[in-house]
Amino acid sequence: MREGASPGAADAQAAVFDLDGIVGTHARAVGQMGVVEHRFQIADEVVTLRFAGAALVDLLTPAFAHLAVEEGSKPGLVINLWDSISTGVEAPPLPSIPADAPFGAFYYYEERPYRALFQPGPRALSMFDADAREAWYWVEGAANLSHWECAAPARHILQWYVRSTGRQQVHGGAVGTPDGGVLLVGKGGSGKSTATLSTLNSDLLYAGDDYVAVQIDDPPVVHSLYSSGKVEPHHLGRLPHLGSAVWNQDKLQTEKAVVYVHQHWPERTSRGFPLRAVLIPKVAADRPESRITEASRAMALAALAPSTIFQLHPSGQEALAAMARVVERVPTHTLELGSDIAGIPRAISELLGGQ
Amino acid sequence: MRYAVNTSQVISEIIDGEAVMINLTTGNYYSLNESGATAWNAIEAGASAGDLVALLSARYEGDRAEIESAVGRLIDELNREELIVGSEDNGAPPAALDPAAKRMPFEAPQLEKHTDMQDLILLDPVHEVGEQGWPHVKVGGGDTPAPDRVPE
Repeated sequence: MREGASPGAADAQAAVFDLDGIVGTHARAVGQMGVVEHRFQIADEVVTLRFAGAALVDLLTPAFAHLAVEEGSKPGLVINLWDSISTGVEAPPLPSIPADAPFGAFYYYEERPYRALFQPGPRALSMFDADAREAWYWVEGAANLSHWECAAPARHILQWYVRSTGRQQVHGGAVGTPDGGVLLVGKGGSGKSTATLSTLNSDLLYAGDDYVAVQIDDPPVVHSLYSSGKVEPHHLGRLPHLGSAVWNQDKLQTEKAVVYVHQHWPERTSRGFPLRAVLIPKVAADRPESRITEASRAMALAALAPSTIFQLHPSGQEALAAMARVVERVPTHTLELGSDIAGIPRAISELLGGQ
Repeated sequence: MRYAVNTSQVISEIIDGEAVMINLTTGNYYSLNESGATAWNAIEAGASAGDLVALLSARYEGDRAEIESAVGRLIDELNREELIVGSEDNGAPPAALDPAAKRMPFEAPQLEKHTDMQDLILLDPVHEVGEQGWPHVKVGGGDTPAPDRVPE
């Protein structure tokens, strides 16, 4: 049995989803390849990524580069990461799934203190032990890592972890200043990424375009999770400053363009800031100027919650209530995105400056 | 008949007097205006159609027949969208209103439906994995499953 696990609970759980089998394959991978550690400060706590070997390091650490910290305080979470191809260690025990399972399907299992999720498409397994503050992340091989997984690594583990610390991971972007910033919410295609990536040519700081964590209780605070940004390739023409910063230039026929903001604009990234407003982006390309108009809190919750809920596992009333508590605490607006890209950060800065 | 929120697949919040509801099974989500949110709040407490008519008549200035008709339409819509179910529970009577509170003109409950999350459900379905879903440990990497382990 793994050190630190609750004896009864761990053994009962092992009979269900084989905790020891998962932990054991990781231990063998470490034995084969050695450990490569990287430490990051995520939502005010140190998170250690403990890789078995180096095969996944360059793919899974760039998104966290703006959060890197040196050796020091005890980590709030250790994530063990490994793959089978580079280590030569067999796959951990995985759930049985039908052969015709959709590529994007999720297989989720929960029994306190464990949560586990298997994605058969990319063949990726995430597991979290809430009591031990330890997690395991396995993929078949580096080639299984999609561009979206590289842009937002271990998203499910971080979701479970930040929730255990009183925060809520949300589907949204965030930009601002050290004094405060905005959360941009809405489903994919609503303009979140265009709006957030437009600010790289301004004085605003970038905390993410797709997933961030928000402190639920007062004061509401946005915590950056990833410094990556993803945008549809046909929108790159509106964001010419991204230029050669696009990480996957040779794959834009089939992938969204990925930018690791910290690699190219290190001074423009932020670990987080107080939340001052929630904005609902809305494309209004029929006029050049961007403008901010009033929006009800219910509109903001309807823009934020469904796209977050349907990407979270588990999702439910608790997550919706947490998001409602966040939306209740700050003003809510619609951000009408005009065709003049420079006008977007200007409108946000004016809102923040006027508060 | 009394009604209850279909909590097996529906989550909801009322914020600033409007309701936001999400059907986790269908992927549809909804909003209800102020009078609709008032009714939803009462349904959460197990209200009947009669309770809803009484509640809305007390809170709003409007023709009772119009309110009855609006409540009937709302219940039909909420049922059709599988947001509510019939309930055997006696429920609690709607909260008493402040008699001094000013009654507002009645606006019929409006259920706004959004279907743009359905694709996410179809493309990325979530399956809850039970005890049969996760294989047991294999001894020595062979094909013979190990016997279930007994808690210490």
